[in-house]
Amino acid sequence: MIENIVRVWEKYWPLFVQGIGMTLLLSAIIVLCGSILGFLIALLRMSKLKVFHIKPLNAIASIYVEIIRGTPMLLQLYFFYFLLPEMLPFMNLPPIVCVTVALCLNSAAYVSEVIRAGIQGIDKGQSEAARSLGLNQRQAMMKVVLPQAIKNILPALGNEFVMMIKDTSLASTFFAGELMTVYKTVSGIVYLPIEPLIIVGIVYLVVTFSLSKLVQLFERRMATA
Amino acid sequence: MSAEKKSVENNDILIKVVDLKKNFGDLQVLKGVSEDIRKGEVVSVIGPSGGGKSTFLRCLNLLEIPDGGKVYFEGVDITDKSVDINKHRQKMGMVFQHFNVFPNMTVGENITMAPVLLGKKTKEEADKLADELLLRVGLSDKKNEYPQKLSGGQKQRLAIVRALAMEPDVMLFDEPTSALDPEMVGEVLQVIKELVKTGMTTVIVTHEMGFAKEISDRVLFMDGGIIAEEGTPEEVFENPKNPRTKEFLSKVLY
Repeated sequence: MIENIVRVWEKYWPLFVQGIGMTLLLSAIIVLCGSILGFLIALLRMSKLKVFHIKPLNAIASIYVEIIRGTPMLLQLYFFYFLLPEMLPFMNLPPIVCVTVALCLNSAAYVSEVIRAGIQGIDKGQSEAARSLGLNQRQAMMKVVLPQAIKNILPALGNEFVMMIKDTSLASTFFAGELMTVYKTVSGIVYLPIEPLIIVGIVYLVVTFSLSKLVQLFERRMATA
Repeated sequence: MSAEKKSVENNDILIKVVDLKKNFGDLQVLKGVSEDIRKGEVVSVIGPSGGGKSTFLRCLNLLEIPDGGKVYFEGVDITDKSVDINKHRQKMGMVFQHFNVFPNMTVGENITMAPVLLGKKTKEEADKLADELLLRVGLSDKKNEYPQKLSGGQKQRLAIVRALAMEPDVMLFDEPTSALDPEMVGEVLQVIKELVKTGMTTVIVTHEMGFAKEISDRVLFMDGGIIAEEGTPEEVFENPKNPRTKEFLSKVLY
């Protein structure tokens, strides 16, 4: 078996490297978009804007998060894979774009929950003390609440990123060209189901393990500050 | 200025509270409280838990938004929605039961952050003031420490000078010693006592009856969402008229 693994790697490594590149690119886009979008959704969820007795922004964000968290990711991928080209026929969207959009929207929901929990985990007395000194809500958030919340958010966010990297493998359903797609291609060529799988598994492990180590390092840096 | 027309005539009155009401859900916590706090006055608020003391205090700087009634601060109705409450809060220092010092800043930064951020002082001025204030409360050697390293009493002294750094016209204390270990109560009360001597207008919600009696010009006894009795410390502590005051005092004074 080990012999086979080595042989497959030697013969097809450029394909695997391509797959790694695609997986990393996808992950980077998703992490970035997911974080920015997630932060915005978290702000919406915490908004105090009230129209009569409902908070419209809060409601929209909550419904969004519930739908994303309550349906399978694969379903969401299919949904956007079919929906986006139908909605925007003139743009001739390649499947990879639809899949990326779906992954971003998905990760945003989870990231928003991580950020919201981090901010709301800070004792209310902290923002009250800041407000009592005359800071407005934004100043209290930026100077007092967020710097403390980041320490809660960062570890959980790191876990989210690891999840996102793994979740990009679902994009192989639509042959997005990332690692799992490469697995399908290679295993089809060599008629070996397990050996390429082990290679791909090791690659995922290396990537996610390095990332969690990086986050840990960052955490320790923050803890001393 | 539009604030002028809402002015209260008596210049002596720093905070004027008129028919203040506050509900939490179905629970009516303040049932129409009216009170004047004069410049330089030291007012203690005592009474049983759930009587509305803290809510009353927190309505004075609008940390709780009243459901009814008015609060005038230096002649301006700060419950008016067009008023910039942040401006007025700069002049009302507040000290909390649980200190609420900022753990992400050093002791020095805790003090200088607000005056510098809000443009009241330059970095150097604020720094100099912080040195003076820390000296006053015996924390000079802690300036570059993080609050994590401080004891409860030290944290509360820091919280007091953090509020003083904004050079407020009134200080509001919300049970400043209730969360402290007994051996640290004295050091905090001492700081408040010295502050009061400087003529600072002070409103303090407290369970320290002896302290209230010693420093106050006036004592308010709150129970059931109203001021059930008020007067000089002698009147309230030695000769209470209201049976509820009597009952409360008999339980806490022994």
